[in-house]
Amino acid sequence: MDFSIRAATVEDCKDIARMVKELAEYEKCTHLVKTTQKDLEQDGFSKNPSFHGIIAEVPEQHRTKDGHTKIGYSLYFYSYSSWSGRDIYMEDLYVMSEFRGKGIGKALMSKVAQLGLAAGCGQLDFLVLDWNKSSLDFYLNQGCTDVTTDIGYHYMSCKEEALEHLAQP
Amino acid sequence: MNFKIRAATKEDCKEISRMILELAVFEKMPDQVKISHEELERDGFCQNPFFECLVAEVPEEKSKEGFTVVGYAMYYYTYSTWRGRSVFLEDLYVMPEFRGNGIGKGLLSKVAEVGKKKECVRLQLSVLDWNTPARDFYAAQGAQDLTDSEGWHFIRFDNQNLDNLANEAPKD
Repeated sequence: MDFSIRAATVEDCKDIARMVKELAEYEKCTHLVKTTQKDLEQDGFSKNPSFHGIIAEVPEQHRTKDGHTKIGYSLYFYSYSSWSGRDIYMEDLYVMSEFRGKGIGKALMSKVAQLGLAAGCGQLDFLVLDWNKSSLDFYLNQGCTDVTTDIGYHYMSCKEEALEHLAQP
Repeated sequence: MNFKIRAATKEDCKEISRMILELAVFEKMPDQVKISHEELERDGFCQNPFFECLVAEVPEEKSKEGFTVVGYAMYYYTYSTWRGRSVFLEDLYVMPEFRGNGIGKGLLSKVAEVGKKKECVRLQLSVLDWNTPARDFYAAQGAQDLTDSEGWHFIRFDNQNLDNLANEAPKD
């Protein structure tokens, strides 16, 4: 199938917001989505953006029954390792279910890797849920390492009241 | 013990680099440290820095080798498409002889305070599963272990695997 990958623009935020919800539904976490289309517009397309995005599009003749031609995306930002320097972190990678198995997910992830290398990054990091076997298999087939299983890194998070309490001077 | 926490300056990078190596030795991975103070100076103090850093100083005392900068916290801003802006604590370290004086908690709280001022809704970090004192410390501060409770795993591409992946990107 013919598809193209390009940098996201502010006009894409409506479709990105839609696909963020679809991905959250897949991850059984729809109730956790607090960001809106407007948040994405402000946070991703202001003077100091908090993230960058790429979009996968298909030509009109392959649009979905709801009329969508923007059928996949990846959001990423630059991070840092005190051991190896500049890193790129992939926050989301998603392709609508009817367009999977056609190399679109791989193309999006490869593009993030390419952008990372161009910016001098030495690592591409992201998180995946342990029950998401099809995603884990997909990533492991591309040659990555599960540093939680192999090295023992655990992901920890502090939010809401705990964060408020911690931030007391 | 009298200590002070302040934003790191470019001149602190040699001390930060020293302590990064001390932390890596503790984490049993000193051979993984590839960067020196030069990269820290370039990446942390440019127009769009990749990270920010706080240091802890003990002006009236010195370590047995004569250091007055005895701890640091390195962090950067991240984004959750579900929750918005967050802060990731990359490193938190206090030299062993200065532990137990509230310096680690002071550094962590300051990172949380800085993050809150920038409207961050979460503070995230990673910790090694065998590092029980660190896990207990963070849990006592209210952090949840989302690997244990929700099954999140960190995945990494680096070195040749990263090059291979990038080489397969579609041509523009």
